[in-house]
Amino acid sequence: MNVAIDDVVLPGDHCEEIATAGEKSKVILGPGLRKEIDGVFITKAGVLRKRAPNTFWVDSYQKRYVPARGENVIGIVTQKAGDIFRVEVGGSCSASLSYLSFEGATKKNRPSVKIGDVIYAKMLNASKDMEPELVCVDSHGKKGRLGVLEDGFVFKCSLNLIRKILNPNCPLLGSLKNEWPFELAAGMNGRIWIKAKTMRETVAVGNAILGSEYLSNEEIKSMCTNIASILAGHIS
Amino acid sequence: MVTDNADLTDFKLKPMKCEFNYLSKSDGSAILSQGETVALVSVNGPQDIKMQSQSIEKSTLEVIFSPKGGKPSVGDRYKENVIRQTSETAILGCLYPRTGITVTIQELEDFGGLLSCSVNCVCLALLNSGVAMRCVFAAVMCAIDDSGNITLDPGAAQLETARAVMNFVFDGRDRSLITGFTEGNFSEDAYREALERCRAASELVFTFYRDIVKKYSNVIG
Repeated sequence: MNVAIDDVVLPGDHCEEIATAGEKSKVILGPGLRKEIDGVFITKAGVLRKRAPNTFWVDSYQKRYVPARGENVIGIVTQKAGDIFRVEVGGSCSASLSYLSFEGATKKNRPSVKIGDVIYAKMLNASKDMEPELVCVDSHGKKGRLGVLEDGFVFKCSLNLIRKILNPNCPLLGSLKNEWPFELAAGMNGRIWIKAKTMRETVAVGNAILGSEYLSNEEIKSMCTNIASILAGHIS
Repeated sequence: MVTDNADLTDFKLKPMKCEFNYLSKSDGSAILSQGETVALVSVNGPQDIKMQSQSIEKSTLEVIFSPKGGKPSVGDRYKENVIRQTSETAILGCLYPRTGITVTIQELEDFGGLLSCSVNCVCLALLNSGVAMRCVFAAVMCAIDDSGNITLDPGAAQLETARAVMNFVFDGRDRSLITGFTEGNFSEDAYREALERCRAASELVFTFYRDIVKKYSNVIG
């Protein structure tokens, strides 16, 4: 079946619009699209989206992470093997993280990373045929916000929820940060790390995030004020 | 996320009802009822599997069928095989080499047509899990009675008197036949006619898939 932009699509549908756009100029095919000999086909169920000029992708629901290059993820160190750490990121196999890819690390000066540590890192390399590779520095050798996450609380959620809360149009984090201070790291692999001053506040942020999965922007705003008033009422 | 489709009641197939994400822990799950027959499917993967069952060029698909009674029998093994081969044609396994995808089917109620209900439910669970697929697939079943009449989606009573029972699975792209599974004796002409009728009826199942995904993309969007 031929589909247009913003239509609901199923695997096996094809899009003439992308194919004709591809004849004139370069087209970027995002997740859920695949080029075959006789056209561009959909591989996931969801909504077909387009961003000008020529980027196409399918918004679909997913819980299982498939590593992709350049994404920031939250992983757990499971093993120290010689000069690399094995980091579990939720994909089909664990990722490797070299001890030299930390800010200021040298052969003499090893970073202090222990088994069980939670790490916020960037996917340097994620090919389907190879083990994914992580780094904790950017291309200038600076750590930025990457590195070991101390204390805090980690929980899992669907990959859509991460994309939803990180979307600039989503009011969730904007309204929560005005209510009480907390730190948050969202990994594209469906893991969220939160650190707040008390356990109550941590639980409140976690519940607000999980509760917003199926809510509209208006409902999210009212839920945030609701949670804030409950929290304030109990603390004072 | 409950969706149902009552419009199909006045048509040729039994009414279908489906719920996505029925299980919270699995990567994708769906529960589907076709008439009184109900199946629950959970999909996990692509995930890590044992070294000896890994394939370097595509993902390994494992299908487990658990009947209501608990222990799987030889007949259930046969169903697993039918479903595995059907889903292998639809899943783009080459995108996930050295991984495994596990599909677990739990029979909940069987009033005839459990195989086709399971196949449809597997397709829905795969759509929910976000595994890349080449196409969707739909199973339709029919029965031929002693006088040669073809009944689409027969009930338990019709199945008892049937001379032959046929299950067909169709590809969502060009409606070509993926799997044919037949029991009993029948003539070649009867087979051809049953195939064409089932192919026409599969359109209803594909429409049903699209309606469900439409309702559910409003929620996830």
